[in-house]
Amino acid sequence: MKRNAAIIGCGQTKHSSKRRDVNVAEMVSEAVYNALEDAQVSMREVDAFIVGNMPGFGGIAQPEQWLGDWIGAAGKPVIRIATGGTTGGSVGQGAYYPVASGLHDVVVAVAWEKHSDSKEAGATSGLLHVGLGNLFHAASYGLNLKNLMAMSMVGAAAGVAVYQAVFYMHRSGCTIEHFDMVAAKARRNAARNKYAHLQWPGCTPEDIAETELLAYPFRYGHICPASDGASAIVVAEENLARKKARRPAWYKGLASYSDEENQLQSENFGGVGVLDPSEQRGCWVSAMKAYAMAGIKDPQKEIDMAELYQPFPSQELIFAERLGLFDEGTAWMALEKGETDINGRMPLDPSGGVNATNAIGSSAMQRILECALQIMGKAEEHQVPKKVSNAVAHGWGGVTNYSTVTVLGDSPGR
Amino acid sequence: MGFIKDERPQTICVEGTWSLSSYHYKGSKLLEQYVKGLKQKKLIGSFCPGCAKVILPPRNLCGRCHRIMDGRKTVSDRGTITCYTVSPAITKGKLKVLGMDPVETGLIKDGEILIPVFVRFDGSDSNTDTILLNAEPKAVHIGMRVKVIWAKEPQGALSDFEGVEPI
Ligand SMILES: [Zn+2]
Repeated sequence: MKRNAAIIGCGQTKHSSKRRDVNVAEMVSEAVYNALEDAQVSMREVDAFIVGNMPGFGGIAQPEQWLGDWIGAAGKPVIRIATGGTTGGSVGQGAYYPVASGLHDVVVAVAWEKHSDSKEAGATSGLLHVGLGNLFHAASYGLNLKNLMAMSMVGAAAGVAVYQAVFYMHRSGCTIEHFDMVAAKARRNAARNKYAHLQWPGCTPEDIAETELLAYPFRYGHICPASDGASAIVVAEENLARKKARRPAWYKGLASYSDEENQLQSENFGGVGVLDPSEQRGCWVSAMKAYAMAGIKDPQKEIDMAELYQPFPSQELIFAERLGLFDEGTAWMALEKGETDINGRMPLDPSGGVNATNAIGSSAMQRILECALQIMGKAEEHQVPKKVSNAVAHGWGGVTNYSTVTVLGDSPGR
Repeated sequence: MGFIKDERPQTICVEGTWSLSSYHYKGSKLLEQYVKGLKQKKLIGSFCPGCAKVILPPRNLCGRCHRIMDGRKTVSDRGTITCYTVSPAITKGKLKVLGMDPVETGLIKDGEILIPVFVRFDGSDSNTDTILLNAEPKAVHIGMRVKVIWAKEPQGALSDFEGVEPI
Protein backbone atom coordinates (compact mmCIF):
# COMPACT_ATOMS: atom_id res chain seq x y z
CA MET A 1 0.00 0.00 0.00
CA LYS A 2 1.48 3.33 -0.97
CA ARG A 3 1.40 6.14 1.58
CA ASN A 4 0.58 9.75 0.85
CA ALA A 5 3.53 12.14 0.71
CA ALA A 6 3.70 15.92 0.62
CA ILE A 7 6.17 18.75 0.24
CA ILE A 8 6.11 20.65 3.55
CA GLY A 9 9.00 23.06 3.07
CA CYS A 10 10.96 24.76 0.28
CA GLY A 11 14.35 26.43 0.27
CA GLN A 12 16.31 28.19 -2.46
CA THR A 13 19.37 30.33 -2.85
CA LYS A 14 19.60 33.54 -4.80
CA HIS A 15 20.58 32.72 -8.39
CA SER A 16 23.15 34.67 -10.36
CA SER A 17 25.83 34.03 -12.94
CA LYS A 18 28.60 33.95 -10.31
CA ARG A 19 28.06 33.07 -6.66
CA ARG A 20 31.60 33.91 -5.61
CA ASP A 21 30.55 34.32 -1.97
CA VAL A 22 30.03 30.57 -1.54
CA ASN A 23 31.44 27.30 -2.76
CA VAL A 24 29.29 24.31 -3.76
CA ALA A 25 28.98 22.87 -0.25
CA GLU A 26 28.03 26.22 1.28
CA MET A 27 25.53 26.94 -1.48
CA VAL A 28 23.82 23.55 -1.13
CA SER A 29 23.75 23.90 2.65
CA GLU A 30 22.09 27.31 2.24
CA ALA A 31 19.21 25.77 0.28
CA VAL A 32 18.84 22.78 2.64
CA TYR A 33 18.74 24.96 5.76
CA ASN A 34 16.23 27.31 4.17
CA ALA A 35 14.00 24.32 3.35
CA LEU A 36 14.29 22.85 6.87
CA GLU A 37 13.47 26.21 8.40
CA ASP A 38 10.48 26.63 6.10
CA ALA A 39 9.24 23.13 7.01
CA GLN A 40 9.91 23.63 10.73
CA VAL A 41 11.78 20.32 10.68
CA SER A 42 15.04 19.77 12.56
CA MET A 43 18.04 18.07 10.99
CA ARG A 44 17.55 15.18 13.46
CA GLU A 45 14.13 14.42 11.95
CA VAL A 46 15.52 13.95 8.43
CA ASP A 47 15.80 10.26 7.48
CA ALA A 48 17.54 10.50 4.10
CA PHE A 49 18.85 12.83 1.39
CA ILE A 50 18.30 12.63 -2.34
CA VAL A 51 20.76 14.92 -4.12
CA GLY A 52 21.78 15.74 -7.66
CA ASN A 53 23.42 17.97 -10.23
CA MET A 54 24.89 17.50 -13.70
CA PRO A 55 27.83 15.06 -13.62
CA GLY A 56 31.09 16.92 -13.98
CA PHE A 57 29.56 20.38 -14.26
CA GLY A 58 31.43 23.13 -12.50
CA GLY A 59 34.49 20.87 -12.65
CA ILE A 60 33.61 18.51 -9.78
CA ALA A 61 32.83 14.87 -10.44
CA GLN A 62 31.48 13.85 -7.01
CA PRO A 63 30.32 16.92 -5.11
CA GLU A 64 27.98 14.86 -2.94
CA GLN A 65 30.99 13.29 -1.24
CA TRP A 66 32.21 16.75 -0.32
CA LEU A 67 29.02 18.38 0.80
CA GLY A 68 27.62 15.56 2.98
CA ASP A 69 29.01 17.12 6.15
CA TRP A 70 27.58 20.48 5.21
CA ILE A 71 24.00 19.23 5.03
CA GLY A 72 24.17 16.93 8.05
CA ALA A 73 24.10 13.68 6.10
CA ALA A 74 26.34 11.65 8.45
CA GLY A 75 24.63 8.43 9.52
CA LYS A 76 21.93 8.79 6.86
CA PRO A 77 21.48 7.50 3.33
CA VAL A 78 22.56 9.86 0.56
CA ILE A 79 21.56 8.96 -2.98
CA ARG A 80 22.70 11.02 -5.94
CA ILE A 81 20.56 11.01 -9.08
CA ALA A 82 21.77 12.37 -12.41
CA THR A 83 19.58 12.34 -15.52
CA GLY A 84 20.99 15.28 -17.47
CA GLY A 85 18.67 18.29 -17.76
CA THR A 86 15.92 16.37 -15.98
CA THR A 87 18.14 15.77 -12.93
CA GLY A 88 16.17 18.09 -10.67
CA GLY A 89 12.89 16.49 -11.74
CA SER A 90 14.26 13.05 -11.00
CA VAL A 91 15.62 14.24 -7.62
CA GLY A 92 12.23 15.77 -6.76
CA GLN A 93 10.48 12.55 -7.74
CA GLY A 94 13.21 10.51 -6.02
CA ALA A 95 12.23 11.97 -2.66
CA TYR A 96 8.67 10.72 -3.12
CA TYR A 97 9.42 7.01 -3.45
CA PRO A 98 11.03 6.27 -0.04
CA VAL A 99 8.27 8.23 1.72
CA ALA A 100 5.41 6.68 -0.27
CA SER A 101 6.90 3.21 0.21
CA GLY A 102 7.03 3.58 3.99
CA LEU A 103 10.82 3.28 4.13
CA HIS A 104 11.36 6.83 5.39
CA ASP A 105 9.13 9.48 6.98
CA VAL A 106 11.09 12.63 6.12
CA VAL A 107 13.36 13.04 3.10
CA VAL A 108 15.22 16.13 1.92
CA ALA A 109 15.78 16.51 -1.83
CA VAL A 110 18.33 19.05 -2.99
CA ALA A 111 19.56 19.89 -6.48
CA TRP A 112 22.05 22.49 -7.62
CA GLU A 113 24.48 23.76 -10.23
CA LYS A 114 27.48 26.00 -9.89
CA HIS A 115 28.71 26.60 -13.42
CA SER A 116 30.94 29.51 -12.55
CA ASP A 117 33.45 27.55 -10.46
CA SER A 118 35.13 26.14 -13.56
CA LYS A 119 36.15 27.83 -16.78
CA GLU A 120 34.90 24.66 -18.45
CA ALA A 121 31.52 25.37 -16.91
CA GLY A 122 29.78 22.80 -19.05
CA ALA A 123 30.93 19.29 -19.23
CA THR A 124 34.49 19.14 -18.00
CA SER A 125 34.47 15.39 -17.78
CA GLY A 126 31.04 13.89 -18.08
CA LEU A 127 29.96 14.72 -21.60
CA LEU A 128 33.27 15.42 -23.23
CA HIS A 129 34.64 11.90 -23.39
CA VAL A 130 31.90 10.31 -25.45
CA GLY A 131 31.60 13.48 -27.51
CA LEU A 132 35.30 13.42 -28.30
CA GLY A 133 35.41 9.68 -28.90
CA ASN A 134 32.56 10.12 -31.32
CA LEU A 135 34.22 13.02 -33.08
CA PHE A 136 37.56 11.28 -33.50
CA HIS A 137 35.78 8.17 -34.69
CA ALA A 138 33.99 10.17 -37.39
CA ALA A 139 37.14 12.13 -38.16
CA SER A 140 38.84 8.86 -39.07
CA TYR A 141 36.24 8.53 -41.84
CA GLY A 142 36.96 11.93 -43.34
CA LEU A 143 34.43 14.14 -41.56
CA ASN A 144 32.92 16.97 -43.61
CA LEU A 145 34.47 19.94 -41.79
CA LYS A 146 32.09 22.55 -43.15
CA ASN A 147 29.20 20.47 -41.89
CA LEU A 148 30.92 20.25 -38.51
CA MET A 149 31.21 24.06 -38.43
CA ALA A 150 27.52 24.41 -39.21
CA MET A 151 26.63 21.96 -36.44
CA SER A 152 28.84 23.80 -33.99
CA MET A 153 27.28 27.10 -34.96
CA VAL A 154 23.81 25.77 -34.17
CA GLY A 155 25.06 23.94 -31.08
CA ALA A 156 26.54 27.12 -29.70
CA ALA A 157 23.20 28.88 -30.00
CA ALA A 158 20.80 26.26 -28.84
CA GLY A 159 21.43 22.83 -30.28
CA VAL A 160 18.38 20.82 -31.00
CA ALA A 161 16.04 23.48 -29.58
CA VAL A 162 16.51 25.52 -32.76
CA TYR A 163 15.12 22.69 -34.86
CA GLN A 164 12.37 21.98 -32.35
CA ALA A 165 11.30 25.61 -32.63
CA VAL A 166 11.28 25.60 -36.45
CA PHE A 167 9.21 22.41 -36.54
CA TYR A 168 6.75 23.87 -34.05
CA MET A 169 6.47 27.15 -35.98
CA HIS A 170 5.82 25.24 -39.18
CA ARG A 171 3.04 23.06 -37.83
CA SER A 172 1.38 25.56 -35.45
CA GLY A 173 1.67 28.88 -37.31
CA CYS A 174 3.47 30.50 -34.37
CA THR A 175 6.07 33.17 -35.23
CA ILE A 176 9.33 34.50 -33.84
CA GLU A 177 7.35 37.37 -32.26
CA HIS A 178 5.65 34.84 -29.98
CA PHE A 179 9.06 33.76 -28.71
CA ASP A 180 9.77 37.44 -27.97
CA MET A 181 6.54 37.51 -25.93
CA VAL A 182 7.41 34.39 -23.92
CA ALA A 183 10.95 35.62 -23.17
CA ALA A 184 9.68 39.07 -22.11
CA LYS A 185 7.08 37.45 -19.85
CA ALA A 186 9.79 35.25 -18.29
CA ARG A 187 11.94 38.29 -17.47
CA ARG A 188 8.97 40.26 -16.08
CA ASN A 189 7.86 37.32 -13.94
CA ALA A 190 11.43 36.80 -12.74
CA ALA A 191 11.48 40.41 -11.58
CA ARG A 192 8.78 39.42 -9.05
CA ASN A 193 10.76 36.37 -7.88
CA LYS A 194 13.53 37.41 -5.49
CA TYR A 195 15.51 34.20 -6.15
CA ALA A 196 15.48 34.49 -9.96
CA HIS A 197 18.47 35.39 -12.15
CA LEU A 198 17.47 37.43 -15.24
CA GLN A 199 15.10 39.98 -13.75
CA TRP A 200 13.79 42.74 -16.00
CA PRO A 201 10.76 44.62 -14.70
CA GLY A 202 8.57 45.91 -17.51
CA CYS A 203 10.45 43.99 -20.21
CA THR A 204 8.51 44.10 -23.49
CA PRO A 205 8.57 41.83 -26.56
CA GLU A 206 10.03 44.82 -28.44
CA ASP A 207 13.00 44.87 -26.03
CA ILE A 208 13.68 41.22 -26.83
CA ALA A 209 13.18 41.78 -30.59
CA GLU A 210 16.03 44.29 -30.58
CA THR A 211 18.58 41.67 -29.54
CA GLU A 212 20.91 40.00 -32.04
CA LEU A 213 19.73 37.00 -34.08
CA LEU A 214 22.00 34.07 -33.14
CA ALA A 215 20.57 31.35 -35.37
CA TYR A 216 17.14 31.60 -36.89
CA PRO A 217 14.68 31.74 -35.10
CA PHE A 218 16.55 32.43 -31.85
CA ARG A 219 17.70 35.84 -30.72
CA TYR A 220 20.15 36.53 -27.91
CA GLY A 221 17.25 37.70 -25.76
CA HIS A 222 15.53 34.33 -26.12
CA ILE A 223 18.29 32.32 -24.48
CA CYS A 224 18.40 31.31 -20.81
CA PRO A 225 21.38 32.31 -18.67
CA ALA A 226 23.78 29.87 -16.96
CA SER A 227 23.06 30.30 -13.26
CA ASP A 228 24.64 29.31 -9.97
CA GLY A 229 22.08 28.20 -7.41
CA ALA A 230 20.45 25.44 -5.39
CA SER A 231 16.93 24.41 -4.43
CA ALA A 232 15.67 22.00 -1.81
CA ILE A 233 12.38 20.52 -0.64
CA VAL A 234 11.34 18.62 2.50
CA VAL A 235 9.04 15.67 1.79
CA ALA A 236 7.07 14.04 4.62
CA GLU A 237 4.50 11.29 5.18
CA GLU A 238 0.88 12.26 5.79
CA ASN A 239 0.70 12.51 9.61
CA LEU A 240 3.79 14.65 9.90
CA ALA A 241 2.83 16.69 6.85
CA ARG A 242 -0.55 17.58 8.38
CA LYS A 243 1.09 18.43 11.69
CA LYS A 244 3.85 20.61 10.27
CA ALA A 245 2.29 22.41 7.30
CA ARG A 246 -0.85 24.49 7.13
CA ARG A 247 -1.23 23.68 3.46
CA PRO A 248 1.10 20.90 2.29
CA ALA A 249 1.68 20.35 -1.43
CA TRP A 250 0.75 16.71 -1.99
CA TYR A 251 2.29 14.50 -4.62
CA LYS A 252 -0.74 13.35 -6.60
CA GLY A 253 0.81 11.86 -9.69
CA LEU A 254 4.24 11.47 -11.20
CA ALA A 255 5.81 9.78 -14.19
CA SER A 256 9.00 9.82 -16.17
CA TYR A 257 9.46 8.44 -19.66
CA SER A 258 12.41 8.52 -21.96
CA ASP A 259 12.30 8.32 -25.73
CA GLU A 260 14.95 7.37 -28.24
CA GLU A 261 17.88 9.73 -28.23
CA ASN A 262 16.93 12.60 -30.48
CA GLN A 263 20.02 14.69 -30.58
CA LEU A 264 21.49 14.52 -34.03
CA GLN A 265 24.81 12.84 -34.54
CA SER A 266 24.42 10.42 -31.70
CA GLU A 267 26.79 7.50 -31.25
CA ASN A 268 28.41 6.68 -34.59
CA PHE A 269 26.92 9.86 -36.15
CA GLY A 270 23.82 7.85 -37.00
CA GLY A 271 20.51 9.31 -38.13
CA VAL A 272 17.59 9.87 -35.76
CA GLY A 273 14.22 8.22 -36.24
CA VAL A 274 12.26 11.00 -34.53
CA LEU A 275 11.28 13.01 -37.58
CA ASP A 276 9.85 15.92 -35.59
CA PRO A 277 11.99 16.87 -32.55
CA SER A 278 9.07 18.90 -31.17
CA GLU A 279 6.96 15.74 -31.02
CA GLN A 280 8.23 15.05 -27.47
CA ARG A 281 6.52 11.73 -27.01
CA GLY A 282 8.21 11.16 -23.64
CA CYS A 283 6.51 14.29 -22.33
CA TRP A 284 2.97 13.40 -23.34
CA VAL A 285 3.30 9.78 -22.23
CA SER A 286 4.60 11.02 -18.86
CA ALA A 287 1.75 13.53 -18.64
CA MET A 288 -0.93 10.93 -19.40
CA LYS A 289 0.48 8.56 -16.77
CA ALA A 290 0.90 11.28 -14.14
CA TYR A 291 -2.64 12.61 -14.72
CA ALA A 292 -4.08 9.08 -14.49
CA MET A 293 -2.32 8.56 -11.17
CA ALA A 294 -3.57 11.95 -9.96
CA GLY A 295 -7.13 11.23 -11.09
CA ILE A 296 -7.07 14.19 -13.49
CA LYS A 297 -9.28 13.65 -16.52
CA ASP A 298 -9.24 17.07 -18.16
CA PRO A 299 -5.97 18.92 -17.52
CA GLN A 300 -7.26 22.06 -19.31
CA LYS A 301 -9.94 22.39 -16.60
CA GLU A 302 -8.33 20.72 -13.59
CA ILE A 303 -4.75 22.05 -13.71
CA ASP A 304 -4.54 25.59 -12.35
CA MET A 305 -0.99 26.54 -13.30
CA ALA A 306 2.23 24.99 -14.61
CA GLU A 307 5.97 25.35 -14.30
CA LEU A 308 7.60 24.07 -17.49
CA TYR A 309 11.20 23.42 -18.40
CA GLN A 310 11.70 26.14 -21.02
CA PRO A 311 15.34 27.24 -21.44
CA PHE A 312 14.13 28.43 -24.87
CA PRO A 313 10.81 30.27 -25.20
CA SER A 314 9.51 27.93 -27.93
CA GLN A 315 9.60 25.15 -25.36
CA GLU A 316 7.05 26.79 -23.09
CA LEU A 317 4.55 26.59 -25.96
CA ILE A 318 5.56 23.11 -27.14
CA PHE A 319 5.52 21.52 -23.70
CA ALA A 320 2.32 23.25 -22.56
CA GLU A 321 0.58 21.50 -25.46
CA ARG A 322 2.30 18.19 -24.75
CA LEU A 323 1.09 18.43 -21.15
CA GLY A 324 -2.46 18.79 -22.48
CA LEU A 325 -2.91 22.32 -21.12
CA PHE A 326 -3.86 23.65 -24.57
CA ASP A 327 -5.10 22.06 -27.76
CA GLU A 328 -2.49 21.12 -30.35
CA GLY A 329 -0.96 24.17 -32.01
CA THR A 330 -2.87 26.76 -29.95
CA ALA A 331 -0.60 27.66 -27.01
CA TRP A 332 0.71 30.73 -28.87
CA MET A 333 -2.85 32.00 -29.31
CA ALA A 334 -3.43 31.66 -25.55
CA LEU A 335 -0.17 33.55 -25.02
CA GLU A 336 -1.43 36.38 -27.25
CA LYS A 337 -4.59 36.62 -25.16
CA GLY A 338 -2.61 36.82 -21.92
CA GLU A 339 -3.95 33.49 -20.69
CA THR A 340 -0.45 32.36 -19.69
CA ASP A 341 0.35 35.50 -17.64
CA ILE A 342 0.54 35.38 -13.84
CA ASN A 343 -3.05 36.58 -13.66
CA GLY A 344 -4.22 34.60 -16.68
CA ARG A 345 -6.43 31.54 -17.01
CA MET A 346 -3.46 29.15 -17.17
CA PRO A 347 -0.35 30.82 -15.74
CA LEU A 348 2.85 29.31 -17.18
CA ASP A 349 6.13 29.77 -15.33
CA PRO A 350 5.06 32.59 -12.99
CA SER A 351 8.53 32.27 -11.41
CA GLY A 352 10.15 33.24 -14.72
CA GLY A 353 11.06 29.60 -15.27
CA VAL A 354 14.25 28.16 -16.72
CA ASN A 355 14.30 30.90 -19.36
CA ALA A 356 15.16 33.37 -16.58
CA THR A 357 17.11 31.08 -14.22
CA ASN A 358 19.02 28.00 -15.33
CA ALA A 359 21.11 26.26 -12.70
CA ILE A 360 20.82 23.14 -14.86
CA GLY A 361 20.80 20.30 -12.31
CA SER A 362 18.42 22.30 -10.16
CA SER A 363 16.15 23.66 -12.91
CA ALA A 364 13.65 20.79 -13.05
CA MET A 365 13.57 20.62 -9.23
CA GLN A 366 12.71 24.30 -9.16
CA ARG A 367 9.64 23.56 -11.28
CA ILE A 368 8.42 21.17 -8.55
CA LEU A 369 9.41 23.61 -5.82
CA GLU A 370 7.64 26.52 -7.52
CA CYS A 371 4.43 24.50 -7.96
CA ALA A 372 4.63 23.61 -4.26
CA LEU A 373 5.04 27.30 -3.35
CA GLN A 374 1.94 28.19 -5.40
CA ILE A 375 -0.14 25.48 -3.69
CA MET A 376 1.15 26.45 -0.24
CA GLY A 377 0.45 30.12 -1.01
CA LYS A 378 4.07 31.05 -0.35
CA ALA A 379 5.14 32.41 -3.74
CA GLU A 380 4.98 35.99 -2.43
CA GLU A 381 5.27 38.53 -5.28
CA HIS A 382 4.78 35.95 -8.01
CA GLN A 383 1.89 34.12 -6.33
CA VAL A 384 -0.85 33.65 -8.94
CA PRO A 385 -4.07 35.37 -7.86
CA LYS A 386 -6.30 32.37 -8.55
CA LYS A 387 -6.67 29.46 -6.14
CA VAL A 388 -4.18 26.73 -6.98
CA SER A 389 -5.54 23.25 -6.27
CA ASN A 390 -3.56 21.32 -8.88
CA ALA A 391 -0.26 22.28 -10.49
CA VAL A 392 1.97 20.46 -12.94
CA ALA A 393 5.78 20.56 -12.95
CA HIS A 394 7.76 19.40 -15.97
CA GLY A 395 11.40 18.53 -16.65
CA TRP A 396 13.23 17.89 -19.92
CA GLY A 397 16.77 16.93 -20.79
CA GLY A 398 19.16 14.05 -21.06
CA VAL A 399 20.16 13.76 -24.69
CA THR A 400 16.88 15.65 -25.28
CA ASN A 401 14.97 12.44 -24.59
CA TYR A 402 14.18 12.38 -20.85
CA SER A 403 10.99 13.78 -19.36
CA THR A 404 9.58 14.10 -15.87
CA VAL A 405 6.03 15.19 -15.05
CA THR A 406 4.91 15.74 -11.46
CA VAL A 407 1.37 16.71 -10.43
CA LEU A 408 1.05 18.40 -7.04
CA GLY A 409 -2.20 19.30 -5.32
CA ASP A 410 -3.78 20.76 -2.20
CA SER A 411 -5.20 17.35 -1.25
CA PRO A 412 -3.62 13.89 -1.42
CA GLY A 413 -6.13 12.86 -4.05
CA ARG A 414 -6.97 9.21 -4.40
CA MET B 1 21.22 30.32 6.65
CA GLY B 2 23.35 27.27 6.16
CA PHE B 3 27.03 26.96 6.87
CA ILE B 4 28.86 29.82 5.23
CA LYS B 5 32.54 30.48 5.93
CA ASP B 6 32.41 34.08 7.00
CA GLU B 7 36.18 34.26 7.39
CA ARG B 8 36.58 34.10 3.61
CA PRO B 9 34.22 36.37 1.66
CA GLN B 10 35.09 35.06 -1.83
CA THR B 11 36.09 31.82 -3.51
CA ILE B 12 39.73 31.68 -4.62
CA CYS B 13 40.79 30.66 -8.10
CA VAL B 14 43.32 27.96 -8.86
CA GLU B 15 44.65 27.80 -12.43
CA GLY B 16 45.12 24.42 -14.03
CA THR B 17 44.23 22.15 -16.89
CA TRP B 18 42.67 18.72 -17.07
CA SER B 19 44.38 16.25 -19.30
CA LEU B 20 42.30 13.67 -21.10
CA SER B 21 45.49 11.66 -21.47
CA SER B 22 43.90 8.91 -23.51
CA TYR B 23 40.41 7.57 -23.89
CA HIS B 24 39.15 4.23 -25.15
CA TYR B 25 36.17 4.15 -27.42
CA LYS B 26 34.51 1.44 -29.48
CA GLY B 27 33.14 2.89 -32.67
CA SER B 28 31.10 0.53 -34.79
CA LYS B 29 31.89 -0.56 -38.35
CA LEU B 30 28.79 1.13 -39.71
CA LEU B 31 30.62 4.22 -40.91
CA GLU B 32 33.05 2.03 -42.81
CA GLN B 33 30.17 0.51 -44.76
CA TYR B 34 28.53 3.92 -45.13
CA VAL B 35 31.58 5.60 -46.67
CA LYS B 36 32.04 2.65 -49.06
CA GLY B 37 28.56 3.53 -50.32
CA LEU B 38 29.46 7.22 -50.58
CA LYS B 39 32.40 6.29 -52.81
CA GLN B 40 29.85 4.88 -55.28
CA LYS B 41 27.60 7.94 -54.73
CA LYS B 42 25.10 5.80 -52.85
CA LEU B 43 23.33 6.53 -49.57
CA ILE B 44 23.04 3.26 -47.65
CA GLY B 45 20.89 3.35 -44.52
CA SER B 46 20.12 0.72 -41.91
CA PHE B 47 16.80 -1.13 -42.03
CA CYS B 48 14.90 -2.21 -38.92
CA PRO B 49 13.34 -5.68 -39.11
CA GLY B 50 10.93 -4.66 -36.31
CA CYS B 51 9.32 -1.47 -37.63
CA ALA B 52 10.72 -1.30 -41.18
CA LYS B 53 12.24 2.13 -40.61
CA VAL B 54 15.24 3.11 -42.70
CA ILE B 55 17.69 5.34 -40.81
CA LEU B 56 20.40 7.38 -42.54
CA PRO B 57 23.30 7.52 -41.67
CA PRO B 58 22.92 3.93 -40.43
CA ARG B 59 22.88 3.00 -36.80
CA ASN B 60 23.17 -0.16 -34.72
CA LEU B 61 19.90 -0.23 -32.82
CA CYS B 62 16.38 0.97 -33.50
CA GLY B 63 15.64 3.58 -30.83
CA ARG B 64 12.01 2.72 -30.26
CA CYS B 65 11.68 -1.01 -30.92
CA HIS B 66 15.15 -1.96 -29.71
CA ARG B 67 15.94 -4.35 -32.57
CA ILE B 68 19.33 -4.71 -34.20
CA MET B 69 19.14 -2.83 -37.49
CA ASP B 70 21.06 -5.40 -39.49
CA GLY B 71 19.26 -4.80 -42.79
CA ARG B 72 20.67 -2.36 -45.37
CA LYS B 73 18.75 -0.27 -47.85
CA THR B 74 19.92 2.21 -50.46
CA VAL B 75 17.85 5.38 -50.48
CA SER B 76 17.60 8.13 -53.08
CA ASP B 77 20.09 11.02 -53.07
CA ARG B 78 17.11 13.32 -53.51
CA GLY B 79 14.96 14.40 -50.62
CA THR B 80 12.95 17.07 -48.85
CA ILE B 81 14.05 19.67 -46.30
CA THR B 82 12.15 18.99 -43.07
CA CYS B 83 13.81 21.69 -40.97
CA TYR B 84 16.46 24.38 -41.21
CA THR B 85 18.18 27.23 -39.48
CA VAL B 86 20.11 30.20 -40.87
CA SER B 87 23.27 31.56 -39.30
CA PRO B 88 24.20 35.22 -39.13
CA ALA B 89 27.09 36.23 -41.40
CA ILE B 90 30.14 34.43 -40.02
CA THR B 91 33.10 36.75 -39.80
CA LYS B 92 36.62 36.27 -38.50
CA GLY B 93 36.64 35.63 -34.75
CA LYS B 94 32.94 34.74 -34.58
CA LEU B 95 33.23 30.96 -34.42
CA LYS B 96 35.86 28.68 -32.95
CA VAL B 97 35.66 24.92 -33.33
CA LEU B 98 38.38 22.69 -31.87
CA GLY B 99 40.47 25.82 -31.40
CA MET B 100 40.18 26.64 -35.11
CA ASP B 101 38.70 29.77 -36.69
CA PRO B 102 37.01 28.48 -39.88
CA VAL B 103 37.30 31.88 -41.58
CA GLU B 104 41.02 32.05 -40.85
CA THR B 105 41.56 28.55 -42.21
CA GLY B 106 39.57 29.36 -45.37
CA LEU B 107 36.88 26.76 -44.69
CA ILE B 108 34.22 29.47 -44.55
CA LYS B 109 34.34 32.68 -46.59
CA ASP B 110 34.39 35.89 -44.54
CA GLY B 111 30.76 36.94 -44.15
CA GLU B 112 29.35 33.61 -45.35
CA ILE B 113 25.93 32.55 -44.12
CA LEU B 114 25.53 28.88 -43.25
CA ILE B 115 22.23 27.05 -43.68
CA PRO B 116 22.17 23.84 -41.63
CA VAL B 117 19.24 21.65 -42.70
CA PHE B 118 17.53 18.37 -41.91
CA VAL B 119 16.80 16.35 -45.05
CA ARG B 120 14.54 13.33 -45.31
CA PHE B 121 15.90 11.46 -48.30
CA ASP B 122 13.28 9.64 -50.40
CA GLY B 123 12.99 6.10 -49.06
CA SER B 124 14.30 6.96 -45.57
CA ASP B 125 12.48 7.49 -42.27
CA SER B 126 14.95 9.78 -40.59
CA ASN B 127 16.36 13.26 -40.72
CA THR B 128 19.88 13.56 -42.06
CA ASP B 129 21.75 16.57 -40.79
CA THR B 130 23.67 18.45 -43.50
CA ILE B 131 24.12 21.90 -45.05
CA LEU B 132 22.29 23.59 -47.89
CA LEU B 133 24.64 25.10 -50.46
CA ASN B 134 24.09 27.07 -53.69
CA ALA B 135 20.89 28.61 -52.32
CA GLU B 136 19.70 32.02 -51.16
CA PRO B 137 19.02 32.03 -47.39
CA LYS B 138 15.64 33.66 -48.10
CA ALA B 139 14.61 30.84 -50.42
CA VAL B 140 15.04 28.00 -47.93
CA HIS B 141 11.80 26.52 -46.67
CA ILE B 142 10.34 23.34 -45.24
CA GLY B 143 9.32 21.11 -48.13
CA MET B 144 12.08 22.36 -50.42
CA ARG B 145 13.32 19.61 -52.76
CA VAL B 146 17.07 19.06 -52.72
CA LYS B 147 19.73 16.68 -53.97
CA VAL B 148 23.15 15.64 -52.71
CA ILE B 149 26.21 17.49 -53.93
CA TRP B 150 28.76 14.72 -54.44
CA ALA B 151 32.51 15.28 -54.43
CA LYS B 152 33.89 15.26 -57.98
CA GLU B 153 36.06 12.28 -57.18
CA PRO B 154 34.64 10.47 -54.15
CA GLN B 155 37.35 9.11 -51.85
CA GLY B 156 35.21 6.90 -49.64
CA ALA B 157 35.02 9.58 -46.93
CA LEU B 158 32.18 11.34 -45.11
CA SER B 159 33.21 14.51 -46.93
CA ASP B 160 32.23 12.90 -50.28
CA PHE B 161 28.75 14.10 -49.28
CA GLU B 162 29.44 17.83 -49.46
CA GLY B 163 25.92 19.02 -48.72
CA VAL B 164 22.66 19.44 -50.61
CA GLU B 165 21.44 21.97 -53.17
CA PRO B 166 18.00 22.86 -54.53
CA ILE B 167 16.73 20.76 -57.43
ZN1 LIG C 1 12.40 -0.44 -35.32
